[in-house]
Amino acid sequence: MKAELANRTVAGLKEAGIDFVSYIPETRLSEILPVLEADGSFTLVPVASEAEAVGIAAGASLGGKRAAVYMEGTGLFVSTYNLLTVGERYGVPMLLLVAYVGSFEDQRNSYLFSHYGNKTKGILDTLGIQYLIIDSANQLEARIKDAVRMMHALKLPVALLFTGEFTE
Amino acid sequence: MIRYDCFEWLAAQMTDQLVVTSLSGQRVEWGHLSKRDADLNLGSMGNALAVGIGLALALPRRKVFVFESDGSVLLSLFNLPTLANLNPPNLAVFVFDNQAYSGTRISYPSATAGKTDLAAMASGAGIDYAVTVSELEDFKKEVTAALNQSGLRFVVCKIEESVGHRRIVRTNVDLLETKYRFVRYLERTEGKPIIQGRG
Repeated sequence: MKAELANRTVAGLKEAGIDFVSYIPETRLSEILPVLEADGSFTLVPVASEAEAVGIAAGASLGGKRAAVYMEGTGLFVSTYNLLTVGERYGVPMLLLVAYVGSFEDQRNSYLFSHYGNKTKGILDTLGIQYLIIDSANQLEARIKDAVRMMHALKLPVALLFTGEFTE
Repeated sequence: MIRYDCFEWLAAQMTDQLVVTSLSGQRVEWGHLSKRDADLNLGSMGNALAVGIGLALALPRRKVFVFESDGSVLLSLFNLPTLANLNPPNLAVFVFDNQAYSGTRISYPSATAGKTDLAAMASGAGIDYAVTVSELEDFKKEVTAALNQSGLRFVVCKIEESVGHRRIVRTNVDLLETKYRFVRYLERTEGKPIIQGRG
């Protein structure tokens, strides 16, 4: 992921009001982490499992933070139970920033990821989680704002699936 | 030590502390004994500690109590190293460990009925204050300290398996109602909007 995309992504999150990010580092979007750290306006919470990343973001959201969870696409499978039992059932807004591994546009796709990628949208559909696929920087900031507006309107988790040039 | 006795005493001590409960009989008993808007009865295993961490980080001036069970902590053991490293000073965790998966009609031993020591696991994960109590008076001392002192506390409360919660009439307050009650309370007491939405 190019530095410019990382900078624009973080600036877009900030502009959209996100101020809390729980996360497990992964490769494709990892360039956002030093930018998030350098910005200083985000509460950053490194965790050991995407399952608890969702729970922690839910608690923060209920406490008044505008919360996001940054994870690899595989993390959606790990955190399905938590997204359902806390995110969906309780109706807690949070933005899922997902590195959409194994998708058609994943520039690092391989047999390691494709089996996750071709089931990712199915998982989100089953959970009733709305999502946008971000495969280019075109209108990036506007689409982040759209997703945040939707998560507040639905009072549910909403996902951004980053692929294409974000996975280079 | 009986969990209901712990809760009966504890409910009378609580003022503006936030409480997050897990599933199991503790949710039923706490919901029966405490009717506060500051209670967030989650109704799921393996999530209370994470949600409590998030609340503690979001509201550093509020004291957050998490009531967990042995089965729930065992389901989400990754919480322990995360909690240790975040080390929120306004969070107190009480794990009511009955050494059993005690459902409506079942009772099967959990790992803590065998060799597993949750306080030792918490210590190993890096939580500085992790202790086990098995007497009501010791439980009261830990709660009193949690109410009056800063610092992360992880207290494993060894309790007898009891079925008293099965005789309590279940509430008809659902999860969404619980959430809104809790969040509107926070909005009032914190003086800020939390759930947004233009009608």
